Amino acid sequence: MLTSLSDAASAQTPSSALTGVEIALETRALSLWYGKRRALEEVSFGLPARRITALVGPSGSGKSSLLRCLNRLNDEIEDCRVEGKVLVGDTDAYAKDTVVHELRRRVGMVFQRPNPFPLSIYENVAYGLRLQGLRKRRELDECVEAALKAASLWDEVATRLDDSALELAFGQQQRLVVARAIAVEPEILLMDEPASALDPAATLRFEELLHELAQRYSVLLVTHNMQQAARVADYTAFLHQGRLVEFGDTDSLFTNPRERQTEDYITGRYG
Amino acid sequence: MSARFIRVGAFGDAGTWLVAGAAAACLAAMLALLIVLGGAGAAPFWPSPIVEVQTRDGRVLLGEIVSRSDDAIALRTSEIDRIGTGYVRVAPKQFIDSTNPDDAFVIALTDGRRVFGRGDAAAADARLHEMSGADADEILWPNAVGFFARSGIFLRHVSRFLGASSTAAPLGGGVLPALAGTVTLVLLMSVIVMPFGIATAAYLHERRGAAAGLVRSAIGNLAGVPSIVYGVLGLGLFVHGLGADIDRWFYSDRLPVPTFGSGGLLWAALTLALLTLPVVVVSVEEGLARIPAGLRAGSLALGATRGETLWRLMLPAARPALLTGLILAIARAAGAVAPLMLVGVVKLAPALPIDGEFPYLHPSRQFMHLGFAVYDAALASPDAVRGVPRAYACALLLIVVVVALNLTAIVLRNRLRARYRALES
Repeated sequence: MLTSLSDAASAQTPSSALTGVEIALETRALSLWYGKRRALEEVSFGLPARRITALVGPSGSGKSSLLRCLNRLNDEIEDCRVEGKVLVGDTDAYAKDTVVHELRRRVGMVFQRPNPFPLSIYENVAYGLRLQGLRKRRELDECVEAALKAASLWDEVATRLDDSALELAFGQQQRLVVARAIAVEPEILLMDEPASALDPAATLRFEELLHELAQRYSVLLVTHNMQQAARVADYTAFLHQGRLVEFGDTDSLFTNPRERQTEDYITGRYG
Repeated sequence: MSARFIRVGAFGDAGTWLVAGAAAACLAAMLALLIVLGGAGAAPFWPSPIVEVQTRDGRVLLGEIVSRSDDAIALRTSEIDRIGTGYVRVAPKQFIDSTNPDDAFVIALTDGRRVFGRGDAAAADARLHEMSGADADEILWPNAVGFFARSGIFLRHVSRFLGASSTAAPLGGGVLPALAGTVTLVLLMSVIVMPFGIATAAYLHERRGAAAGLVRSAIGNLAGVPSIVYGVLGLGLFVHGLGADIDRWFYSDRLPVPTFGSGGLLWAALTLALLTLPVVVVSVEEGLARIPAGLRAGSLALGATRGETLWRLMLPAARPALLTGLILAIARAAGAVAPLMLVGVVKLAPALPIDGEFPYLHPSRQFMHLGFAVYDAALASPDAVRGVPRAYACALLLIVVVVALNLTAIVLRNRLRARYRALES
């Protein structure tokens, strides 16, 4: 118990790795319980702005749980309790006066399996915009086009925007939900293993897209795939059994991990 | 999909035959129902031949043969006084001979009586005059005409049955008012039950916990309540409770003549809405539950509130289930007669609940209903021999109405399903 506390303490100083880096989102001693089971233990880290940060760790280490804490999607789960702080910009996400759906607009999310709505391609992207109260057709058209272009899907669907989104290929669907997420101009993009269901070619395309997105958005990417983390991420965080073991820039974490557990994991000794 | 469950093999073959046999039995039962209803219901519309029977005691009887068995022949002869008084039994030992004279005619009177006679048009006129004060609906010489003319008469009888003519006759005339009443009632019921059912299902889907569990079990219990109990509830709650209050507040100048304080279309529709609510709730809730959880999470993650997610995403995606609920509700409501007898259905309504007069729909009016017409014709008719076939005809028409309403909803649902098929795979 003592060692785990000291581990947590060492992980609680993200500033060492992030000196002088702008922070888009920060957690402070974030803990999460599902009923009696503790899924996250005092996780503290800062998400660098306009960078890609990979969140790696074995199955069940709490990666998805952590992601869902950041946009309060865990609110939908019964018996779920959160302690600690999540700061999105200057907003305390769990403060009493925080409007949850406003927070979720600022913290976009892309899920593991593409989940396009059973609407047309156009209406999928316009969905969030319409929620914002955007009604004028021309403005909607412009925003939809911009979002689809940003998700590098525009060229493939420009001529069939009114077709059902469910007819798109898997990889296209995943880029569509990215377009849907960025249409509402979030500050942060949470991605929960977005490429795990894609074939290698689509994965490659998706990783290129991630690089482009990182110009404008702060991306937190959950991934199982070490190579992917090494390829795309500027920073990497290693989560193990609900604790943040190590967090640093990708190069040094992969080449020179400070913690034994990290080294074991990235060299494939478990996970 | 279903092919996966059918395997070749000893048991698989038996299973296949069992399944196919059960399906065939269902189809056969449905077909038999339609044939029985159609055959028995259509028979009285066909002009039957007029026979003249001579008996040993010197009587000469003119009429139609109703039944023929070993111990008696039953004839319907002229109904001089009132309906149902013209039946005569002739024992075999009395029977000498029967003929089908070409000049035999039958006069159908507007009050439902039928009078027989022989001769030409002048004779028929004279016969009509004997029935003082009665008007003729039609005069036929059925023995003299061929098959095609009889078919014409048959079609005329059918269209008369489907029309609105001589509704006041003791046997009942055209069923158009009952048809209009049934359709109006079912549609009004649908309009009432759908919003409530959808709202309840949405509540049950979004909320879990003790309160929702209580609501769910309450609805489950509602589904098991016999329909006559709903009739009593509607009478006490709507007619005598709510209706009497409305009369006191808004129609006090007309009291003691009740406006809403007696049974009427609105109260019947509300009663049926209560009756069908569980069906709608259960199927809509199932439809909502079948929508992948990822869709809901995706909508919430875009900054939609729960309400917006429900309204913009879940309910549109659950539209096939909504229509399934509606179909089941219509089927249940159209068949429920018992509760209606307490809350506003009548044998003969003075006016239709829906007409060209503002406000077009008259929710306080009493109405006629096909289901009640079946009951009335079969059990409360002054002439059972003619009442029962009429009950068959009304029942067939009721089935046609239900099937037509359901087909509309099913076609609509299938078009929606095609749109969402990719979602469910």
